Amino acid sequence: MDTLLQVLLDGMLNGLVYALVAAGLCLIWGVMDVINFAHGEYLMIAMYVSYWLGFLAKVDPLLSVIAAAAFIFLLGVLTYKLIIRYTIGKSPLAALLATFGLAMFLKNFCLNRFSPNFLILSDTWLGDKTFQAGGLIIPLPQLVAGVLSLAVIVLVYALINATRFGWAVQATAMDRDAAELMGINTERIYILIFGIGGACVGVAGGIMPSYLAVHPEVGSLFGLIAFVCVAMGGFGSIPGALLAGLLVGVTEALAGFYIAPVFKYIAVFGLYLAVVFLRPKGILGW
Amino acid sequence: MTHRSSRLYHCLVFFALLCMLIGFGLKAEPVMAAEKIIKIGTIFPLTGPVALAGQRCQAAVETAVEILNNKHPNIKVPLADKKGWLEGYKFVLVHTDSQGKPDVGKAEAERLINQEGVWALIGSYNSSVSMPASFVAERAKKIFMCGASSSAALTQRKPAMNFFFRTASTDEVESIEFVDVLKWLNKSQKNANIKTLGIIYENSVFGKNASEQAKKAAEAGGFSIVADVPFTPGATNLDSEVQTLKSKNPDALFGAVLGADYALMVKTMKKMNWVPKVSLSYCSGYQDPVIAKQLGGDADFFMGSTAYSPEFAGMMPAVAEVEKIFKTKSKGVPYDSDSIQETIAMLVLAQAIEKAKSLDPEVVAKTLYANTWLSPMSLSGEVAFAPGGQNKLALSIVTQLQGGKYKKVFPTEKADTKPVFPIKPWDKR
Repeated sequence: MDTLLQVLLDGMLNGLVYALVAAGLCLIWGVMDVINFAHGEYLMIAMYVSYWLGFLAKVDPLLSVIAAAAFIFLLGVLTYKLIIRYTIGKSPLAALLATFGLAMFLKNFCLNRFSPNFLILSDTWLGDKTFQAGGLIIPLPQLVAGVLSLAVIVLVYALINATRFGWAVQATAMDRDAAELMGINTERIYILIFGIGGACVGVAGGIMPSYLAVHPEVGSLFGLIAFVCVAMGGFGSIPGALLAGLLVGVTEALAGFYIAPVFKYIAVFGLYLAVVFLRPKGILGW
Repeated sequence: MTHRSSRLYHCLVFFALLCMLIGFGLKAEPVMAAEKIIKIGTIFPLTGPVALAGQRCQAAVETAVEILNNKHPNIKVPLADKKGWLEGYKFVLVHTDSQGKPDVGKAEAERLINQEGVWALIGSYNSSVSMPASFVAERAKKIFMCGASSSAALTQRKPAMNFFFRTASTDEVESIEFVDVLKWLNKSQKNANIKTLGIIYENSVFGKNASEQAKKAAEAGGFSIVADVPFTPGATNLDSEVQTLKSKNPDALFGAVLGADYALMVKTMKKMNWVPKVSLSYCSGYQDPVIAKQLGGDADFFMGSTAYSPEFAGMMPAVAEVEKIFKTKSKGVPYDSDSIQETIAMLVLAQAIEKAKSLDPEVVAKTLYANTWLSPMSLSGEVAFAPGGQNKLALSIVTQLQGGKYKKVFPTEKADTKPVFPIKPWDKR
């Protein structure tokens, strides 16, 4: 029983981080219908920001997570201003290919500047600390990352559903032209959504160097899993992204432990195909 | 033409002549004595999860070529004096990036042979890339020198390859050596009682073959395998993999885990508060000095096979001078077990060309098989190839990381320290 609970706990903690990465992507996708292929690379850049702040200025990831989120917010705004703006209203492939190019640029830039070296931040506040609760081993860095992810998801959900800004975002997502006629500055909404979507992944990436090595390839699989979560949860649905993130994390852990470790991604992508087949709009899509 | 413009014209002509003279002066040698070129194509993972190892392997080949192309009387490896048949030749490298992917490696091998017109290939670190890339070379009758790929399957292909040569030891040899270590620990350590074995390996040609060899050797040695754990390279976490190992709790662990995955595996073991009594790694993240440094004390007490580490310098004095050149290309990182094999492979190939006095690949391949090659950078000091292309003189020593240093622990006649056994639990370090 303890083993099952341990596996579930590990899966949920990983799932919460997947959910936060997915929430950022979900926001951009849901509001703008833009597929940001560089989302995984945003995560990687956030990890580098946090790592270098930790390494050079001895700032702990718990603090540098703010700087990482702010940096990726700016990166998101710049991405919109310099790339995405010119693809709005054109073929959906235009934005997809443009962000794919951006992903390649960011990955190769980091390869060139920081080498493929994987960098591990030592002596962090959370370190490799664990504590026991009953028979469970609870890793502190992953617990903090999970709780922080959940808090940010709730915050973003509240922002979208309980503020005037959020209502404007929803109106823009439903019908941009009608929203403009109502006096909403949709261009500003798009800029902010790209920034906030980036900041979500920035928070996830900012805290991750507490327990994960940083290298230029680190964002690739996270990015892919985020796409799966968004499609599974329902395009534009933040609760859907949270639910899907948790489902992915738990499925991965259960399949990895009870079937075979090599089966874990087969189970995740199998689940994704099943959900898309049975409910193409995703679990909470509308 | 006015007097003024004529003067300007003469000034320009004079200036142009001066530039040409300076140009000739600076480049007098290449123009006067054009060298004959031997193009060698390299295929390594320069990007992707094992890019760090791939870049060092490339630097190792560059090091060998720098020695071969210039006179280095202070370096005690064959052909460093640049005398003999190869004196009029220059090796030129054409680098490619396999990304660690078999299909990309194969396509690059085809491009190197068909478009770049290389004379031979060297690579590819990942066994899964060396396999298809060397098939391309074999079909084109081009020599493929393989330094570090360790899958035994590479040199056991049927029919045997004629143009494929591998200098490193194989996971078959290492598996037998690892089982010998377990037997030795059972004999030499009080209450060692090692009976069960777990295997963790990446789901690739390298990992699968290593696991098969491990199973074969373990069965022959009387050990039972209680955990067989393949994983997807580059995974976001290794929680279920380590949890599986922990639940089966094998006495010993054999690992074929490369690059960042190795660091993640060790970190996850720490998170789950589990270690086996002994852990032995094939050519993998364990051998990488950068990983050992990054992991710090967490890397300690793990073991693995090692063909070279800076701690072996006393046994291989020729390496020191070569390593100075290597470090200029690897950002100061010394040779490791894998990268040194690529320098050895290139130097052996050059020796074979020198001996054959020919650039006919078939003649050079036959020469490679027919002779034993001096190799001061190998543990055995020599290289000789068996049918299929395996270096039958390849040796490795089992080391244990202690205080960040690779300490030689097995075979006992080569050991410089006693192993810490069992591995210290995480809370007692």
